[in-house]
Amino acid sequence: MSRHVFRDIRGTLQPFWVTLRNLFRKPVTVQYPEQKQQLPERYRARLILTRDPDGGERCVACHLCSAACPVDCISMQATEAADGRRYAAWFRINFTRCIFCGLCTEACPTKAIQVTADFELAGRDPLKLVYEKVDLLVDHCGNDNSYNFYHQTGIGVTAPRGENPQETKPMDVKDLMP
Amino acid sequence: MVTLTIDNQTVTVPAGTTVLEAAQKLGIVVPHLCYHKELGAVGSCRMCAVMIHKGTLTGLKMSCLIAVEEGMVVTTTDERSMALREQVGEWLMLNHPHDCPVCDEGGECQLQEMTIAVGHGRRRYTGKKHTYPNQDLGPFIAQEMNRCIHCYRCARTYKDYCGGRDFGVMGSRNRVTFGRFADGMLQSDFSGNLIDFCPTGVFTDRTFRFTSRFWDLQEADSVCSHCGVGCAVIPGGRLHQLQRVRSGTNAAVNGSFLCDRGRFGFDYGRHPERPRRARRDGQEVAVDVALEALMSDARALIDAEGPEAVLLLGSERASLESNWLLQRLAKELGCRVPVLSPHARRHQAAQAVAFDLSHQLASLADVRTADVAVVFGVDPLAEAPLLALALRQIVRQGGRVVVCDPRPVELPFAFEHQPLSPLALHELLGGGDMDGKHLRDLLRQAKQPVLVAGADLLGTAGLRHVHSLAQRIATDDRACPIYPVLAGANSFGAALLSLPEQDDLMTRLEGDHVRMMICLETDPLVEGPDGKPLGERLARLEKLVVFDYLPTAVAARADTFIPTCPPVEASGTFINSEGRLRRFERVLAPGASLAHKEDGAHPPRAFFLTQPDSEPLPAPRLLQRLLGGETSLAQIQAEMVMDRPRLAALPQLKAGEEGERVAATVARALPEEKLPEQPAGTLQLVVSPARYGSDLLSRYARQLTPRLTTACVYLHPEDAERHGVQEGDRVDLDTRFGRFTLPLALSETLARGCALVENSAALPEPIPGSGISFCRIGRGGANG
Amino acid sequence: MADTLFTVVLILAKLALIFGVVLFMAAYLVLAERKILGRMQLRYGPNRVGPFGLMQPLADVIKLLTKEDFLPARADKWLFLVAPGITAVTALLVFAVVPFGPTIEVFGRTIPAAVVDLNVGVLYFLGVSSMAVYGVVLGGWASCSKYSLLGSVRGLSQMVSYELSLGLSLVPVIMMARSFSLHDIVMAQASVPFLLLNPVACFVFLICILAESNRIPFDLPEAENELVGGFHTEYSGMRFGLFFVGEYINLVVLGSLMTVFFLGGWHGPWLPPVVWFLIKVLMVCGLFIWIRACLPRLRYDQLMNLGWKVLLPVSLLNILVTGAVLLGLGL
Repeated sequence: MSRHVFRDIRGTLQPFWVTLRNLFRKPVTVQYPEQKQQLPERYRARLILTRDPDGGERCVACHLCSAACPVDCISMQATEAADGRRYAAWFRINFTRCIFCGLCTEACPTKAIQVTADFELAGRDPLKLVYEKVDLLVDHCGNDNSYNFYHQTGIGVTAPRGENPQETKPMDVKDLMP
Repeated sequence: MVTLTIDNQTVTVPAGTTVLEAAQKLGIVVPHLCYHKELGAVGSCRMCAVMIHKGTLTGLKMSCLIAVEEGMVVTTTDERSMALREQVGEWLMLNHPHDCPVCDEGGECQLQEMTIAVGHGRRRYTGKKHTYPNQDLGPFIAQEMNRCIHCYRCARTYKDYCGGRDFGVMGSRNRVTFGRFADGMLQSDFSGNLIDFCPTGVFTDRTFRFTSRFWDLQEADSVCSHCGVGCAVIPGGRLHQLQRVRSGTNAAVNGSFLCDRGRFGFDYGRHPERPRRARRDGQEVAVDVALEALMSDARALIDAEGPEAVLLLGSERASLESNWLLQRLAKELGCRVPVLSPHARRHQAAQAVAFDLSHQLASLADVRTADVAVVFGVDPLAEAPLLALALRQIVRQGGRVVVCDPRPVELPFAFEHQPLSPLALHELLGGGDMDGKHLRDLLRQAKQPVLVAGADLLGTAGLRHVHSLAQRIATDDRACPIYPVLAGANSFGAALLSLPEQDDLMTRLEGDHVRMMICLETDPLVEGPDGKPLGERLARLEKLVVFDYLPTAVAARADTFIPTCPPVEASGTFINSEGRLRRFERVLAPGASLAHKEDGAHPPRAFFLTQPDSEPLPAPRLLQRLLGGETSLAQIQAEMVMDRPRLAALPQLKAGEEGERVAATVARALPEEKLPEQPAGTLQLVVSPARYGSDLLSRYARQLTPRLTTACVYLHPEDAERHGVQEGDRVDLDTRFGRFTLPLALSETLARGCALVENSAALPEPIPGSGISFCRIGRGGANG
Repeated sequence: MADTLFTVVLILAKLALIFGVVLFMAAYLVLAERKILGRMQLRYGPNRVGPFGLMQPLADVIKLLTKEDFLPARADKWLFLVAPGITAVTALLVFAVVPFGPTIEVFGRTIPAAVVDLNVGVLYFLGVSSMAVYGVVLGGWASCSKYSLLGSVRGLSQMVSYELSLGLSLVPVIMMARSFSLHDIVMAQASVPFLLLNPVACFVFLICILAESNRIPFDLPEAENELVGGFHTEYSGMRFGLFFVGEYINLVVLGSLMTVFFLGGWHGPWLPPVVWFLIKVLMVCGLFIWIRACLPRLRYDQLMNLGWKVLLPVSLLNILVTGAVLLGLGL
């Protein structure tokens, strides 16, 4: 015990000096509504649904984001377009529940759901924070302006079957050549 | 029994088991794709490699093909087998497209699971992926051939197990594809099994296309209620909507298979006209108000007019609990015991099965393992589809199947058909001419014979004949069990609960004693044979009360209507044809569906404490409310066991398990049936249920529409010639059910002297199982 | 008759004055504490209501008054309602004997600058201030919540440990002033404050009143991060406000007593006596706030050790030494 007596006394008195010094320093607080902070590029806040470079909806309503979501704030219904494209008939994010963890963006296989730095979502009416697809869908590609999921799959939506870059032409199944 | 060591654990298994199955018994999962419990192994995917250190064959072997040996030593996690499995996983993925997000199999895909299990993650191959053309396989199955890994499971399911003829393997080399020769609906009645058996997303459920993910579905073990077989099913739903049904597993009943009627005909519960509100005299009222009013009406009538004034009608479609509670209600009200089926003859035949035959009932598993089956009066695909699959397994194992039935029976395998008219069939069973002798000899020589008896066509008398035939065939070391085919999901249960003094519906309604009738989940107008006279009698009732979940004709005529829940929205018990107790659990709560698939539509943004349209309650709860005092299902069941000792296994019953058989009992005295004399110039009328649209549930299942057939009358060509009619003519058919004008079709395999009509939505009046009757046929008068 | 009336009016006037000043000080001490703590932690503290946040206390009061007055389901209703009052009222009662200036002559009467100048003022202070713990104990007990109960148990044993040393630390003061009257004690410090004459007693007294006021580092009965809110966990609205304001009234009262016993009361050069008194009180309060910004909360066993094994022997020894010195000096 005696070994630490001086250290303890110092430890008790030092804070008095530190706090006294701080009293005359400028506070680091950013006065929020008047001053706004420059947010980091990778800041995670409001979610958006982006479009692919060809202007189509990227979301294929695969339910992976809603499965990854730890607070179950995403729900959707998939449906099929005339050309076979799978897309969301409706897509809903309840931002009153969302904790902005960004796990949905990591789960998204088509880079459709992405985060933005818009964190100013407070409001008095919770229903205004339940965003439907029309509120979520944006007109740009977000942070990746080259990826188009349907160019990578074999299911002939953006190009006829077998016309995507890494595919062969469909097999002629009646061909009997060795 | 053989003892071997797998991964340093010893296990003892029966001889003939494979290493893979032995490992599974230990809880060790060896990755596999082409092996399936029901289909066996072919060793084509090369994924289940294990290292065998000690045994006849040592080294890296396919565990699904190697039978266990005494003292064998196997490792599943050694370096070489793991490396091989990873490699196999990698090359299976070479051509597999990158489309899991848009694939309906995603989440319940064996290929996904096994790829992860073998550890393949990063693609090294930079070459191009193969693509294949797809086929349109009809409204039930969607094909995406690119996803195929060529495990041959589909062909083994569809062709080998189910006997489908219009699907197979085509092409050579790496062009091998699986499908039909040309686009078109798959013809087999078991096509839906492709969905369950394909380990990846080549064959997916088109009715469920892009609807929900597996992990979002609410699922529970349930029982199919379309026919008496009682297959295990697992219905799944989301957003208060039942969205699909997949096959459950019950080794004694359906194995892991399901017919298309059970798989795709589930949407009767989401019929747009399904009545969901209680109604009284045309006004919507609260359920409790309606119940109270109904109870006071019934009490007042019984006090004033005596116990005959109120008639309670149970059903072969309602659960065991509902029917039993209906009997309790009769006791409580002091009226006569309820009639438990609107179809008297069917009900009596079911009683013959439930009592007289109860010592000798075969299970469907017994049918599968038999070597000779003789089928009397059953068209399996129409009356009990899974029976057709079971019979096919007899033939696959080298056994023989003989079908004695007037109808032009088609089965997915080679069998001997004896087209006997109903009268001839009874004669064969009762008398003993040459053909009967031939059958007896066949059965006597069999190692494991089994008889299949159709209650609808044979009736009580025929069933008794089959019973005595089985007793004559059976010896001390060889039983001859009978598999009965009953129509309703709970026909057996209703028969078991029936009381000898209950009488039949039309007898009870004679005279004017009955003033009020309460129908529980049945439409006697179309489910019983006496639709027309019954309709007239119902009009003279003071009160007609209907409990149901379907928009039936009788529900529309009811003074008081109380909505109930279909089996997926309730828990309860059925007893299937073979006397097996089958528990089903609630999958979804009742309520209006929140699912919308139209573009831009979405579920409501407002929230309610109670789900809209969630008023319907399961029938047992409604009946308990009438009895005053709700208890749990378990308590009802405990009371039922006290009342009916044959149901002793009821409290231990669990959904998803095999289910116990009810205890056997002594025969019951039933009224004798007399065979009628055939008037000259008539044909014997055979009424068969259509494969789709005959049972009331499938009639309200709109998804089955593509499988519905048009109504026509079938004749043997000789009979047609005799009556001067030709194929395609519109003919007049004069029957006890009324006069119909129908197009004529000819069938070589139909019994001579018979006219066949199918009961379906297009022709609902003739009711199968109504006994032998006769009809006259003539050229269509109206149409010339 | 007129005499009695005058006395009554005078006492009422003094009461009103003290009531007003003390409550005003308590309210603004809250703001000051938040501002100073904020600045010490490089924040601004409240600055949204009024200029520099000066209307914050008003906003707080409005908020507390409009909040739901919540009564836990199984609470002991009457005790629950009474407890916050006890804390606030006892703190105010102590102030009755605190002299904040020299006696003044009005209309030929000598009037003490205190509500009353009791000749047993020290004992009155010790007696009444011990009552304050009833608020804590009853509030915690009546809430019927385990956190509240733990808080009140801690408050009780903390008081038992400190009250003794608090009393004993005042014995040297009484010995030096030869009086129990607070007025006399101040008068005895006319030349030299007791702080310089007996720093040990002053230090013990300081620690004890820190504990008495339930402030950091001795806020074990509240301990937000262990006991949620301790004895006031279940309180809301103005009842919580009473506990809260009582704590700050207590702070003012204890600061005044520190001034009276050790800092020479209103004595000081140039400025009027009342101003000196105020300055000294505010300095003590400032010290309390500063301590709060610097020290962590003690663990329970550390607190008991300090009370019984350090402060009690030290204050007893101090009495002995003081007595010996006084005897030696023949005073």
